[in-house]
Amino acid sequence: MKQTLKILKVAFQAINKNRTRSILTMLGIIIGVAAVIMTISAGEGATMQVQNQISGLGTNLLMIQTKSEHKAGINVRMGKPIYKKDFEILQKNAIYMPNLSPLLAIGAQAIGPDGYKSTMVYGVSYDYFYITSREIQFGSFFSDEDVKTAKKFCVIGQTIRKELFPGQDPIGKQIRIDKVPFTVVGLLKEEGSGGMGQDMDDIVLAPYTTIQNRIFGNRKRGYNMILASALSEDHIVDAKIEATELLRESHKIKANDEDDFEIMTQIELQEITSNITGVLTLLLGAVASISLIVGGIGIMNIMLVSVTERTREIGTRLAIGARESDILTQFLIEAVALSLAGGVIGVALGVIGNQIIYKVTNFYIPTAAYSILIGFGFATLIGIVFGYFPARKAAKLNPIDALRYE
Amino acid sequence: MPLKKVIETKKISRVFKNGDIEVYALTDIDLVIEEGEFVAIMGASGSGKSTFLNILGCLDQPTSGDYYLDAVHVNKLSKNQLADIRNQKIGFIFQSYNLLSRTTALENVELPLVYDRTGRFSNSKELAIKALGEVGLEDRIYHKTNELSGGQQQRVAIARALVNEPALILSDEATGNLDSKTSIEVADLFVRLNNEGKTILMITHEPEIAQFAKRMIYMRDGRILTDEIIKDRSTKESALKDLELTAEPIE
Ligand SMILES: Nc1ncnc2c1ncn2[C@@H]1O[C@H](COP(=O)(O)OP(=O)(O)OP(=O)(O)O)[C@@H](O)[C@H]1O
Ligand SMILES: [Mg+2]
Repeated sequence: MKQTLKILKVAFQAINKNRTRSILTMLGIIIGVAAVIMTISAGEGATMQVQNQISGLGTNLLMIQTKSEHKAGINVRMGKPIYKKDFEILQKNAIYMPNLSPLLAIGAQAIGPDGYKSTMVYGVSYDYFYITSREIQFGSFFSDEDVKTAKKFCVIGQTIRKELFPGQDPIGKQIRIDKVPFTVVGLLKEEGSGGMGQDMDDIVLAPYTTIQNRIFGNRKRGYNMILASALSEDHIVDAKIEATELLRESHKIKANDEDDFEIMTQIELQEITSNITGVLTLLLGAVASISLIVGGIGIMNIMLVSVTERTREIGTRLAIGARESDILTQFLIEAVALSLAGGVIGVALGVIGNQIIYKVTNFYIPTAAYSILIGFGFATLIGIVFGYFPARKAAKLNPIDALRYE
Repeated sequence: MPLKKVIETKKISRVFKNGDIEVYALTDIDLVIEEGEFVAIMGASGSGKSTFLNILGCLDQPTSGDYYLDAVHVNKLSKNQLADIRNQKIGFIFQSYNLLSRTTALENVELPLVYDRTGRFSNSKELAIKALGEVGLEDRIYHKTNELSGGQQQRVAIARALVNEPALILSDEATGNLDSKTSIEVADLFVRLNNEGKTILMITHEPEIAQFAKRMIYMRDGRILTDEIIKDRSTKESALKDLELTAEPIE
């Protein structure tokens, strides 16, 4: 132990003696660790935003849609579409789902008096506002009655207002969607941008009946999905079972056959997205780790040069009684100390970098504690792995040859 | 009472093999050096002096023959034990000083104590300062090696060889890089250390320096050719006087 302490001192003296080189050696590790921390934190930040958004949808949310399967990256609908009949059965019989709304989605141009914007138009029922707990800033939602009578009303998001009615009150004004004029009755409160980049305020909501009748016309078309909210968080499972039973009945599915629809709860959605973002984070982290490995190779390179340059010193140390293990330890400590110091600076840089990104882009990145651990641990590991070979080379030098080395 | 044998070699040989070529650097060397001796080794270049010294200093192992250092049978030791023996029993002095660059004299002298595992030295700094005092460098303790003259650097190296209180001091052309006057001063330092009881073995090319020793061994082709007691040993004064005489222009 005492011996290790003495060797530790020797190693630090050597690092201090070659300060410029030591800093240059650390640079690779510094950048690598900072990159690992920043990418992992960015991934975590994105995950957090998506999660917040999903939980913003309401913890009681259920999404009922046609079963689809990913085939070569394309979403292919597999089951029977969900029709008005299904919705009505749910509405009539459901006990655990007090609020239900069809969702008809259509990408369209919204044209106002002073501008236009490509956006998503959603046909929904009045219940939609309960289910998603979105709030109104000005005006009001369209009513149940408006939905029943298929009124050409709509509620718009802030982004649409900015584009179509810059600096104006949009309430009572008209916008046209697919040549159909809609009267704006309400303006949604700002929701902010989504984690995956979509704008939650770039949205137009209209009665689904109106969308069905006016925009799809005679085309028989199923709903994209039915949104429902369970009585309470505790009833989500009940609601899911209930919806499954009702829909199986409605779709006349035999006892042994599989469902041709899928029901996803908000929690399940959260799990899926967290899986996706988790993979993404892992991937980003892996890419950043490569820069750490490059940094490690840099350390090995410099240590090898250092060993060659200090051959005589090593010979002298061996001659005056250093054991091979002393020399090995010394050079290993040098390498590990360099990568550790690089790790510390890298962590600091990564945390500062996250702050800067937050200041500049407003994208909040919480520095993930485990990213610091990974960056730090990886730096140490790299110091040991890439420091070992040069250190061994130093320790195995023949003292006589080393002493003669020019 | 018979004096303690610091060195005893029995038929030591060293053969270097380079592919098919065999170089017989040392052949059947028998030598005994007792405590308190001051031996100079001379001989032509390539006669095997350094090879012999490296074996005596446990840096190299003989191809055949037995070597006893301070009554320890060196042939039987492991690498780590050899390292410890070098650390405890031997002080090395090299022609090119081999000090750590950009490091203070003090730190250089402390170096052997870094590798001491016996724990017999409690205060390495004190000991290093004492050793530097013995070589007359008490006012250069915190100077870095590159701030010292060649003679001063060699004296730091000597202090380093002394600090662990070795049984044997080995010097391979310690004065080889120094001018005549400085060489004489270093030789005189050896004499003083020897007078204090240190056993010293030094290789030198210069007869004037060898003349400071008590005993002279002459090597040729890996063997000891002559081994005799030096009768009229030089002193610092006599050597400096001779130096002045030879320095005078010849007309
Ligand atoms: N590692 C080695 N491999 C092969 N031959 C060697 C090796 N070391 C020394 N020799 C040979 O051994 C012989 C003795 O060499 P050594 O260095 O001992 O001579 P020396 O008396 O110290 O000479 P000098 O006065 O020039 O220093 C020489 O012929 C040399 O070429
Ligand atoms: Mg030699």
